[in-house]
Amino acid sequence: MTVGRRTRSIDWEARTSGQSRYVADVVLPGTLVARVLRSPHPHARILSIAAEAARRMPGVRAVLTAADLPDRLYKHEGGRLSDRRPLARDVVRFVGEEVAVVAAEAAEQAAAALAAIQVRYGSLPAVTTVEAALAEGAALVHERASGTNVSLAIDRAYGDVDGGRRAATVTASGRYRFGRQAHACMEPNGSLARWDPEAQRLELWTSTQSPYFVREEVAQILGLELGQVIVREVAVGGGFGSKSKITDHEVLAGALAMRTGRPVRLVLSREEEFATTKCRHDFDVELTTGADADGRLTHREARILVDNGAYNHSGASVTGASVAAMASWYRTRGGVHVRATLVDTNKHPGGQFRGYGHPQVAFAIESQMDELAAARGLDPIEFRILNAHRSGDVTQAGWRLRSTHLVGCLEAVRDAIGWREKRARGGSGRGVGVAIAMHVSGARTYEAANRSEAAIDIRPDGEIRVRFGGADPGTGQKTVIAQVAAQELGVDLSRITVVTMDSEATPFDLGSWSSRGTVMSAHAAGTAARAVGRRLRELAADKLGVPPEDVSLQDGHAVAGHVRIAIEDLVTGLGDGLSVTEAAVVDTELVNHATGIADISPAYSFAAHAVEVEVDHATGEVRVLDVVAAHDCGAAINPTAVESQIVGGVVMGLGAALGEQLLYEGGRLVNPAYLHYALPRAADVPPVRAIVLGRADPHAPYGVKGVGEISMVPVAPAVANAVAHAVGVRIRELPITPDKVLAALRARDGGGRRRYQLWRRPGRWWISSMRWAYPRGIHALLDRRGARSVGVPPRAAITSLERPSAVPGVVDTLRRHRDATPVAGGTDLLPLIEQGLQRPRRLVDLSGVAELAQIGETSSGDLVVGAGVSLADLARWPRMDPLIRRVVASIASTQIREMATVGGNLCQAKRCWFYRNGFACYKRSGVTAPCYAVLGDNRYYHAVLGGHRCQAVTPSDLGTALVALDASVQIAAPGGPRMLPLARFYTGPGETALRRGEIVLAVHVPAAARARVSRFEKLRLWEGDFAVVSACASLDLADGVVRDARVVLGAIAPTPYRALAVEQRLRGRRLTPDTIATAADAWVGAAHPLAGNVWKVDAACGLLRRCLDACRASHGA
Amino acid sequence: MRAALRVNGRSIEIDVEPDDRLLDVLRDRLGLLGTKEACGRGECGACTVLVRGRPVVSCLVLAARADHVETIEGLRDEAGALREAFADTGAFQCGFCTPGQIVRGVALLREGLPADDMALRREMSGNICRCTGYAGIITALRRTEGARAGSSR
Repeated sequence: MTVGRRTRSIDWEARTSGQSRYVADVVLPGTLVARVLRSPHPHARILSIAAEAARRMPGVRAVLTAADLPDRLYKHEGGRLSDRRPLARDVVRFVGEEVAVVAAEAAEQAAAALAAIQVRYGSLPAVTTVEAALAEGAALVHERASGTNVSLAIDRAYGDVDGGRRAATVTASGRYRFGRQAHACMEPNGSLARWDPEAQRLELWTSTQSPYFVREEVAQILGLELGQVIVREVAVGGGFGSKSKITDHEVLAGALAMRTGRPVRLVLSREEEFATTKCRHDFDVELTTGADADGRLTHREARILVDNGAYNHSGASVTGASVAAMASWYRTRGGVHVRATLVDTNKHPGGQFRGYGHPQVAFAIESQMDELAAARGLDPIEFRILNAHRSGDVTQAGWRLRSTHLVGCLEAVRDAIGWREKRARGGSGRGVGVAIAMHVSGARTYEAANRSEAAIDIRPDGEIRVRFGGADPGTGQKTVIAQVAAQELGVDLSRITVVTMDSEATPFDLGSWSSRGTVMSAHAAGTAARAVGRRLRELAADKLGVPPEDVSLQDGHAVAGHVRIAIEDLVTGLGDGLSVTEAAVVDTELVNHATGIADISPAYSFAAHAVEVEVDHATGEVRVLDVVAAHDCGAAINPTAVESQIVGGVVMGLGAALGEQLLYEGGRLVNPAYLHYALPRAADVPPVRAIVLGRADPHAPYGVKGVGEISMVPVAPAVANAVAHAVGVRIRELPITPDKVLAALRARDGGGRRRYQLWRRPGRWWISSMRWAYPRGIHALLDRRGARSVGVPPRAAITSLERPSAVPGVVDTLRRHRDATPVAGGTDLLPLIEQGLQRPRRLVDLSGVAELAQIGETSSGDLVVGAGVSLADLARWPRMDPLIRRVVASIASTQIREMATVGGNLCQAKRCWFYRNGFACYKRSGVTAPCYAVLGDNRYYHAVLGGHRCQAVTPSDLGTALVALDASVQIAAPGGPRMLPLARFYTGPGETALRRGEIVLAVHVPAAARARVSRFEKLRLWEGDFAVVSACASLDLADGVVRDARVVLGAIAPTPYRALAVEQRLRGRRLTPDTIATAADAWVGAAHPLAGNVWKVDAACGLLRRCLDACRASHGA
Repeated sequence: MRAALRVNGRSIEIDVEPDDRLLDVLRDRLGLLGTKEACGRGECGACTVLVRGRPVVSCLVLAARADHVETIEGLRDEAGALREAFADTGAFQCGFCTPGQIVRGVALLREGLPADDMALRREMSGNICRCTGYAGIITALRRTEGARAGSSR
């Protein structure tokens, strides 16, 4: 039996050796590079586009604007919902919308051509939030039938809502928000297109979950027949829903290929990936749930606002799916009333994402279930078991729940996580929480979505090939297909090859989405294999003169009695062999948009997750200690793949629960980079435990149900419930970040507002008045003065890389050439150039300068570290101070630490996400530009103390610690070396006292400082992130008394902040808990936080206390 | 300018621009397509290669400064047991980050894995995986190390 057995992915050898070919790896001779010109405005009229100059530039083969394409809309969900063109015509509706596209021989030429296209925009008022879009007199994103920004409104009552309300003896109400999440697939979206003018056919190698939908859209937009568009098979680097319909590169690549007659590759940058591809819809849910005296649910009433972004795409069906979920979750005595509104905004559009509207409403429903259980005095798991669906139930949305093992899932997680014992210990900072989910296994949202075909060829050479039209974006369908075919044909798995995607080779399938991939592909492959098997048995029966019923297929042979014939020998007489194509159909109803009631899926999956968390009272950080995820997903065809789907979904859910959110300022994405997007790294998550109940669904093919999406659905509410259990605060807005938790803890403990006594600090009056004036016109005025986006100019060619071997050569070159820049580790050089923040022409390589690579101690015990020593080597040096090792371990990743140098770390430029991500801010564009952090999202990476026009901070963690260690920097200058205390080295956020021609030679740490008791602590959003807050205490302790102290806070002020007030409170005192408690807060009077980062003051105090406690403990020890 | 590289044991001299990235030289000039670009900013680890035996992100390495380079293509045999362990533990789904994970893993196995699982997870945190939730990757590394220890005994 191959079905049900742990099976390696059939392409594991290629995938693990770099041999799999993704879009970027397909090599076609003469391929052109395409780049997209995007709107810098959230809403503007396109007055004119002048592209002629760009068309004439060297290497440029085509420039296309909307005028060059047929005036057609993407179909997406069709009818009135279709609203988007591949290139904007007349109006742009979000920052990043495609305006023009270029194909050139080389990437630099394409980039230069983009810069040469002149677009004149007439700015239009933009609505960038749902609130603004629904306001009276709001600017309209589209001219919809509603006459407002409401794209779709659903007002639907299921069952007896009034009756339910009357039966309720207790209700809970709340507002729950789930922000925008990015798929962040590791492979950037992309397409390679080739036009064959003779055959009049367009070939596409494209990273998609659904070749069919891509073909259909490309054909209708470009005016081709479906048969003229051929999708080829490639490896697909992740999907999670983002590639289940057409994205926005396929048509553009295809149009360019048709125009130029050359192959064209369009692959998005990571920044484009974050900022322009469709993300998870932001949901704002107001929910009321009632229960009766027995604890049975009576009714549910919800008002849902969905942020559509600028175009519909799947917004309507995501909204519809969320309504059906509301009506299906749990048995409900009375009824369910949902009013859902899909609202246009001038932001990049939302789209399909794992869970499809369910994670957002699950967060509301499942958070509220705990609140209701508490109100009823019931255990959350008991309460859920009481109300859980059972096999045979029909939900209010018409879903027929044939096999339902939700109770089994709840019992499994209760046992596995040690629920009873842990639940008894709430409020201690540790807590456990639970949540459930249910999901479709392939919703019939299209007429043909209940049908899939597969073809099987048995070749005379013995190859057995299965052809399937869907795609395997990492979800394991190819292996599932091979397992099913091998089993049905009685052959070894290794004999099966599987071809997917290729639309010439494969029959009809709509693709892998809606958790249908395994259900449909197994069904189709099994149906085709059984048909092939019948043919083979007939052929064998003919040869052997026995009835077909007496023939069986075993070990690659047809067997009758003692006679065996190899199956390839059965087909030798059939020319190319035997080929069979079969269709498999599942019995489902088409989704009903009018009533919202239909049995849309062949089976429904269930899950319960239990989570244990620890909440850090000092920083607000939530650490997940354990996750148990129990799933009723039917039988598992490949348990290894199923568990991997579950664990992966849980971790993606933890990302949404604890960190991931796309953030906007004026409609423009603030954080389009992995660096600024807190998705989980390996050390951020625990080893998730998956439990697969493995109970076959009696009605589903092979007993399987979907698992791809459901695994992420219960995670966020389970975490929120665990946090509530741990510390007694209920966070109703995701993600549950330290700022929200710490503020809630402060409110819980009755901590009032901190007072900063600005009236007594004349030095802050000017800044205070500016901050007052910012929202009152100053920001808008400054913002208008420049384009919001500076549009990074094409990079200047770098003409030389000089490699001097001694310091004088370096200094001389830097002094003589204004356009020269030193490069040491180089980890920030290329990013700064890409971000348009540096434009060097000459690079001066420091890696060959031996003097910079030294590390050692003087006779008096001072540590001297050359500026060119890598962070990794610094930590590896045998006699390195533990404090410095600890700091280094907290910086970035191993890969970066191997490259980055001590000098580079100290001198690195600020990491403010506005500055780095293209905002025309004060530091980038000068005094007439605003600081976007004053009103924008400043919760994590901006100053709470000493900020002036710019609110950024010095990002170097080493800088923070080394200031505490009284370090000095030795600087090579044209006139000879000079020494400067590190504390005076910093002049601003990531800005130093280095003058032109100067470099850092070495860092000196005096022996006396090294002898002190020191500790460094850092709060960050993900493993390897820059500090949100850091603290370093370095104490000279004798018999428990502080003789001297250095206390430095990082990421708090423009430069490492020496907290003299704290030092003063410590000096001469015994280091007792009381001393620590009062001293740690002594600096707060100097703070002047922004509206969003007040919490950092508390977090810094907390980290500082932790440092001092650690010093005390290590001194005692 | 002229760059003299040793890539997977083979000496190569080629002309490069001063700011050519090692990643592009490997992929576009040498046809070594196993090294993947996912962010181009050194933030994800997909393009990890070894330079002088150390794991680095090839999207930030200037090709002109690189010397002794090992890529997934050169490491596939050394990584044989690790690759099989990846297949057995569900340590990859889409596979796009996998070459980078394997290369990073090889470097760690050479120096010996940290005893503590959290320390191992920290070491692997420069390589983002969006599909698997990392559990398989960590298990695969441990299994490979265990098998190695067993066979050397």
